[in-house]
Amino acid sequence: MVSFTRLSAQATTAVILALAEQPATWRYGHELRQQLDLKPGRLYRALMRLADLGLLEAAWESDAPADRPLRHRYRLSGPGRAHAAKLAAGPSVPAKTARVVGEIGRLPRLEGR
Amino acid sequence: MNRDKRIGLLGGLVAAAIGPWAIAAWLLWRAWWRQAGVRLAALDGSARLLAAATATLPADRRDWGAAMAAELAQVPVQERAARWRFAAGCAWAAIFPPGGTRAAVGVAGVLAVTATAAAAGATGAALPAGRVFVPVFVGLLGGLATLAVARSRRAGHAGPGPAVAGLGLAGVAACVAFLGYYLAEFPTYHRARLHAWTLVSLPPVTAVVLAVVLAGCLWLALRPPRWLLGDRHARRFGIGMAVALVAGFVLTSRGELRGLPGDGGMMDYSLTGLVLWVTGSAVAAAVGRSFRSGLWACAWAAVLVAPLLVAAWLAEALHWYQQGRGMLLDGEGGIGMGANLGDAVWWTLPFLLVWALPLGVLGAAVGSARARRRRAREHGDLASTT
Repeated sequence: MVSFTRLSAQATTAVILALAEQPATWRYGHELRQQLDLKPGRLYRALMRLADLGLLEAAWESDAPADRPLRHRYRLSGPGRAHAAKLAAGPSVPAKTARVVGEIGRLPRLEGR
Repeated sequence: MNRDKRIGLLGGLVAAAIGPWAIAAWLLWRAWWRQAGVRLAALDGSARLLAAATATLPADRRDWGAAMAAELAQVPVQERAARWRFAAGCAWAAIFPPGGTRAAVGVAGVLAVTATAAAAGATGAALPAGRVFVPVFVGLLGGLATLAVARSRRAGHAGPGPAVAGLGLAGVAACVAFLGYYLAEFPTYHRARLHAWTLVSLPPVTAVVLAVVLAGCLWLALRPPRWLLGDRHARRFGIGMAVALVAGFVLTSRGELRGLPGDGGMMDYSLTGLVLWVTGSAVAAAVGRSFRSGLWACAWAAVLVAPLLVAAWLAEALHWYQQGRGMLLDGEGGIGMGANLGDAVWWTLPFLLVWALPLGVLGAAVGSARARRRRAREHGDLASTT
């Protein structure tokens, strides 16, 4: 059982909701940071925390162009998706987080931020 | 002594103190450059900052460091400010990865502050001579424990093993126990030949230095950084070196007390200790077939030997005192027992810092060079037979 108090941090909630927009798609750290307009430190702490709790799947790219290193990519795990649904359904999503990410399934994903 | 002789002596002392460090620094730089320098030279400043910060991540979070570095590569090189911002943010996450809950960190912090305040209050009343050392030591331990709670996410942190932890703990506990005894029994002393006034046995600067060294050594013995844990052989050599150095110290002291012929007292020990130190590092490097093995052995020996040697000094000084001998350092009489506290700190720690550590680096370089030559010979033999 995931403790909500551990996930209540705004950045963590924002990351869960952003990943839940396209749960099957692998996402990258830089892309998430731009979408959520989060500081990189907060983003990576949130990602690490989610991975520690088993809510996040993290994997390396299988191949990459020669001019750049392999990137780490992320998506929600099964429990992560369940938790995201609970977060979205409940009243506890902080107003600022909801504003940034948009409510799942209703607001479009923020592009190009 | 005339002016020229005095300048010559001073120059010799400065060269003797700086020389080993200069050579050791050059050896370290050369080893670092071979290992990582060439790779880091190709990186810009922001990537170097990130590389340095992610090197502190615990082993089970190493992938996150590589992930951050890969994402930094997504920020165009032309956007220098953006790269620095990204690297600085990631560096912060690497140095302070999510660990214990805020509540646990808060509790640890409150406990640390409370323990420090309680220690300061209790020491002021019960052991006034320890009013600087005790709160500084407790405060440092509390701060380090809070940092550990903030950085760790599991109780099962990889440790250095029971031998290192036990020796480290025993050394610090013995030091604190002897210190308590000295401060209770000999809080002040006289130096009869020089002047009549009373001197404090543990002046504030000495107390702070000792507290920092003991807390640091205890910390490293119980929760060493990841990079120090890699080489098990080096750790064993470090333990062996520490035990040999302390045993050598006690045997030298006992030999001096018995007046063994040819024995030059504790001053001789400095030479014996340095020979042991250089030899230990060299053998560790040769056995581990790397410069790093020698360095790590030297580092572990320093962590363990600092508190053990101070404790051994204080114990032997008491022994000398009970036998009616003078100071442990040089047998000088007419000085109060409390002076041994300052001697134990100001002779042991500079011995380690000024001489032992750089000479350990030299030993590691010699040992690894021998190993490299042997490897090259083996390759040559193999090539000639095939």
